[in-house]
Amino acid sequence: MARLVVMGGGVSGHTAATFAKKWLGDEHEVVVVTPNSQWNWIPSNIWVGVGQMTKEDVVFPLAPVYEKAGIDYRQAKAVSIHPEGKTDSDTPYITIEYTGQGKEGQTEEITYDYLINATGPKLNFDATPGLGDGKGQLGEHTVSVCTADHAMHANLELQKIFEKAKTQKQKILVGTGHGMCTCQGAAFEYIFNIEHEAKKAGVRDNLEIKWISNESFLGDFGMGGLHMKVGGYVVSSKLFAESLFAERDVPWLIGAHVTKVEAGKIEYELLDGSTGEEEFDFAMLIPPFAGVGLKAYDKNGEDMTDKIFAPNGFMKVDADYTAKPYEEWKASDWPRTYQNPDYKNMFACGIAFAPPHLISKPMKSPNGTPINPTPPRTGMPAGIIGKAVAHSICDMIKEGENAHLHEASMAEMGAACVASAGKGAFDGTAAAMTVYPVVPDFEKYPGTGRDTDYTFGEIGLAGHWIKHILHHMFIYKAKLKPGWTLIPE
Amino acid sequence: MVQVLKQYPDESINVNAGPVRNFTGSYEQMLEDIIDTMKAHNLDSLSAIEIGYAYQLMVIREHNKYIPYANPRVITQKNPFDSTEKTSYFHNIPIMVKRYQTLSIVYDDRKGNMQTKQINDPEEAATFLRTLDYLFNTTLIDRIPPHQREQAIKALAGKGHMPDTSDAFCPPESKKVYFVSVADKLLFFMFISLLLPLFSISKSTLEGWYTFDKIAFPIVIILMIGFFFYAQYEAKKYKQCSSCQVGNNIGVMVKRVVAASAFAIGAYLFVNPN
Repeated sequence: MARLVVMGGGVSGHTAATFAKKWLGDEHEVVVVTPNSQWNWIPSNIWVGVGQMTKEDVVFPLAPVYEKAGIDYRQAKAVSIHPEGKTDSDTPYITIEYTGQGKEGQTEEITYDYLINATGPKLNFDATPGLGDGKGQLGEHTVSVCTADHAMHANLELQKIFEKAKTQKQKILVGTGHGMCTCQGAAFEYIFNIEHEAKKAGVRDNLEIKWISNESFLGDFGMGGLHMKVGGYVVSSKLFAESLFAERDVPWLIGAHVTKVEAGKIEYELLDGSTGEEEFDFAMLIPPFAGVGLKAYDKNGEDMTDKIFAPNGFMKVDADYTAKPYEEWKASDWPRTYQNPDYKNMFACGIAFAPPHLISKPMKSPNGTPINPTPPRTGMPAGIIGKAVAHSICDMIKEGENAHLHEASMAEMGAACVASAGKGAFDGTAAAMTVYPVVPDFEKYPGTGRDTDYTFGEIGLAGHWIKHILHHMFIYKAKLKPGWTLIPE
Repeated sequence: MVQVLKQYPDESINVNAGPVRNFTGSYEQMLEDIIDTMKAHNLDSLSAIEIGYAYQLMVIREHNKYIPYANPRVITQKNPFDSTEKTSYFHNIPIMVKRYQTLSIVYDDRKGNMQTKQINDPEEAATFLRTLDYLFNTTLIDRIPPHQREQAIKALAGKGHMPDTSDAFCPPESKKVYFVSVADKLLFFMFISLLLPLFSISKSTLEGWYTFDKIAFPIVIILMIGFFFYAQYEAKKYKQCSSCQVGNNIGVMVKRVVAASAFAIGAYLFVNPN
């Protein structure tokens, strides 16, 4: 019997663990280690953040699902990896620290035959002074929609602002809280849902709503932009986004790196080197992502974290990490199998793998501050990669360690995204976008690096319905209800 | 080498241009082609996509020098104004769009080094923004408000005039239509009430409808008075809007007042059960 340990129970880890268990059956063991007791459909957190959904609508308990699937569930956080075992044993293992199941604070070693690192990101609030509390958590001056609890808190604060806006002017600031953030889409959805709800609440006239982002142009979405179909016309995402912001009277700041957050005020630096301040009564700023801080040790207990992980804390896989200038970046630099180059029984998927470089053009302010979106690896790509990694490991377990590995390169993978711009059965709006490939391939598609026939978006009520359907469909799938394997990632 | 300039309705320029990543070899050739084409056609600016290169490169003639801007971005823009512009793509037909006078931009220079620049001249800013638009799959037509785009496309086909898109023209959604909409609904039900005596309807039901007629009639009159004054306010705000002209407003008002009066008289004669 082989044991597969999956660190992390988010989109990628949950997908990998559940498919691996289905394919391996009871002959082999699948263990999931995640500090969370609940699974969260993160794309719907923005609706929790405006009071249009409850926390219960976007989460469900993991324990009964894993019990039904026959997966060994440990509510714990992974602390360290020991791929060579220890002095008296060659069996690799990880150390974990429980966060639930009545064992809070207890540590344990779990041996493995195969390991998947799907820990997701650390929400690195402390990267921007004042955005965090100095202990790695969300600070007191802003809110976040990155977790269901954050979103609930955001909604409570937002409702206070709406209440105040009945009698006085209020200012709302939404966007990215650092020059190296990803996930602009979540902030994009949140600002337009706030605007939509403010209109419904009759307080829009007393609200000044402003966007701040590290994108170098509106509509970049961290992907370099795309086409949009709007009202029968094909326009660029830049024009589409500019029109959307202008029509809703939402001014914007782009190319911005937030340098400091204080009570009611942020300081920022722009790509042109200028600096400025922006005041707010309510601010939702997405933090940058980093690795969760896992350590790695060799057989003798010597720290080899640098060997396993990139400096940003994400795990090295089969990518080409050679430092090279922008003009030499290639699609083939990106990983295909997500297998660690040194330890063939270790894989990483979702946000946890280290990308070889950015997707967007690297940009710096004249002061040397890097300001550009970092590569998105959430949602659909995370699920696809998780499934491919599970497939590879299952084949290695069944056919031997030289089994053919399954591939899911982001440079050969398309992705779809639905961004809500307001919730409502008849007045909702969302932009549905597809991109192919996620990572531009400038050799295959000279110029844009993408197949323009498959890289486009469309906005409308139908998009909102699709987002709502996806909400129910993916939670259904994650609960492993009948037919769950038929639903794509 | 001078290249063929793409002109409307050639839609092959409708792609997002990719970033310039290499500043040697084919880049030099592309830049040379753009400048040669500008000289041959005496152009002040040209984007690579206008001669078939899907790259984020544009050249602007400044004091008889041809300055390349690769991967340009507008970081801040202030002071909007209405700009009447002509481009070779649209056969030099003037089109009015909204631009910004004060720009802060970043771009890569001829050697690929990132530079910043401030622009505070309306003509220079409009030229920069217009040329930049092409790099992001945007033409002058796309900058026209959606409700006027059809008219602009017809004008480009030689059918009619180019719409005027400045702020002084018709609003996309006039609020005066709300007055008309409510009045029309009331008039519809007043008309329906006139048909009721043709059927065997009880006296109490007819009394109810007659009461409705007695209330609806003055409301329609009040709505039309409100419409007229609000329309006058909009007519001052949007001076050259044809549907805002006082003759149109009087016509809209008189038609409904006459109809309401006729329906009210009819109701008194035929619906009134007493």
